[in-house]
Amino acid sequence: MSARRIVLTSGKGGVGKTTTTANLGAVLAKRGHRVILVDADIGLRNLDLVLGIEKRIVFDLVEVVEGRCQVRQALIKDKRLENLSILPAAQTRDKTAVSELQFAKLIEQLGEMCDYVLIDCPAGIEHGFRNAIAGASEAIVVTTPEVSAIRDADRVIGKLHERGLPLRLIVNRLRPEMVRSGDMLSVDDVTDILSAELLGIIPDDEEVIDTTNRGEPIVLQSESRLAVIYDKIARRLEGDLVPFTTFSAPGFFARIFGKAS
Amino acid sequence: MQETVQHQELPAASAVPRKRGRAIVITSGKGGVGKTTTTANTGAALAATGASVVLVDADVGLRNLDLVMGLEARVRHHVLDVLEGVATLDDALVTDKRVPTLRLLAAAQTREKDDVDTAAFSDLISSLRDRFDYVLIDCPAGIEKGFTNAIAGADEAIIVCTPEVSAVRDADRVVGLLGDGRTVKLVVNRLRPDLVRRGKMLSVEDVNGILRLPLLGVIADAPGVIVSTNRGEPVALDAASPVGESYRQIAQRIIGTLATAPEIPRERSFFEKLFGSLR
Repeated sequence: MSARRIVLTSGKGGVGKTTTTANLGAVLAKRGHRVILVDADIGLRNLDLVLGIEKRIVFDLVEVVEGRCQVRQALIKDKRLENLSILPAAQTRDKTAVSELQFAKLIEQLGEMCDYVLIDCPAGIEHGFRNAIAGASEAIVVTTPEVSAIRDADRVIGKLHERGLPLRLIVNRLRPEMVRSGDMLSVDDVTDILSAELLGIIPDDEEVIDTTNRGEPIVLQSESRLAVIYDKIARRLEGDLVPFTTFSAPGFFARIFGKAS
Repeated sequence: MQETVQHQELPAASAVPRKRGRAIVITSGKGGVGKTTTTANTGAALAATGASVVLVDADVGLRNLDLVMGLEARVRHHVLDVLEGVATLDDALVTDKRVPTLRLLAAAQTREKDDVDTAAFSDLISSLRDRFDYVLIDCPAGIEKGFTNAIAGADEAIIVCTPEVSAVRDADRVVGLLGDGRTVKLVVNRLRPDLVRRGKMLSVEDVNGILRLPLLGVIADAPGVIVSTNRGEPVALDAASPVGESYRQIAQRIIGTLATAPEIPRERSFFEKLFGSLR
């Protein structure tokens, strides 16, 4: 078994765990890896929506764990990327339907079928969180440059350390112009506070709202700047040393015309 | 000269019978849609009218309401201290720096949600209703134990939802879990009229076409909210802020002094955008 089993977690909700899971999974699959995405948010699943596969769900994770179907029957193959599969969460059950041990076994089993298992963790640090990290061999902590998100990330990092899980950080939804005007924490601020290794910086991009609503990961638009950024994150995961893009704030005219257009 | 806020006496639990306050839980299912921001601002706006208000952070282990209120340095005791008899309610209530009738009851940061007994939490909310006009409960994300605790003592709920498919789906699930015994109203948060016009964001009608709830307010997406949240200064107390005005109107609708339907934020004109960019 050689698959990397990576949980994407954050503590705070709405910082971009699901979007990051979908996009990172898609870009890893594009790069030739066999990828399985697992939605660990039992009862409040969303990964299926973000990937646009919600109408194709027949079986879910809880049914697999309960032995009511085979893993392969529950996995949904993405229609755009043949290396990408998704194991959806159950929507009408709750997180206590699966134990930590069952979850860990499931992830181990999935790891035998692919190169990367990405686990989309629910918000919070309750049972759903403990399940999601149970089978992981490493973690990506997603945070935004906001005081509350960073405080929650700090708490989660403590819990990951307790488990001995290696972790790296993605700073999501950075707004360079707000950093420059002193209204937002910088990436350096965030990594200093959390003293964690940086895996990626993703700028705030309004296109993400739309692509997420439409179930089309933005990395599938290869002209998108986020596709380039996610590709770099994937290469860093593979072990390449890829320099970080420093996002300069748009200039005066770009701001005026960008907003006026 | 430094401005000081007078500590205003609130009626004690043993005072003459008074009308019981209202307990309102602010919930969403999905995280990061603005529950805590909505709790802080609605609470500040309610208290600014002179009503006595207590904000209860139900996010044990991942508390943030104290940060958003700018009161993190003043928290001495938390909900679990009160429930476990380590501190009295009066020891744990933190008075707001700006609005003297506003109090915060912080969550424990280093404990788990499973440590909170649902019935005891519900009793605590009930006793707060004897002392305050409004008890606002900031619910954690998700639908686990923390959610069960947070809704237990509330007979009204505000669903906060952003115009995103995933947030709407989660909100819909939570409305189902709240059941029929509670009054449920909707706040649509972080609306961007420009994106709605370009067909890149769900409209308020789209959101409420699915949820079908009485609309309590619509809040526009504004970078100023991130700034005010980071600084711990609720935007509802900024008389010049349009978003603050939206929160003040939500407060008036809760009180019952404003009968008009919420205004849908409009797009800024070319010149407003130009002016905004130059700021």
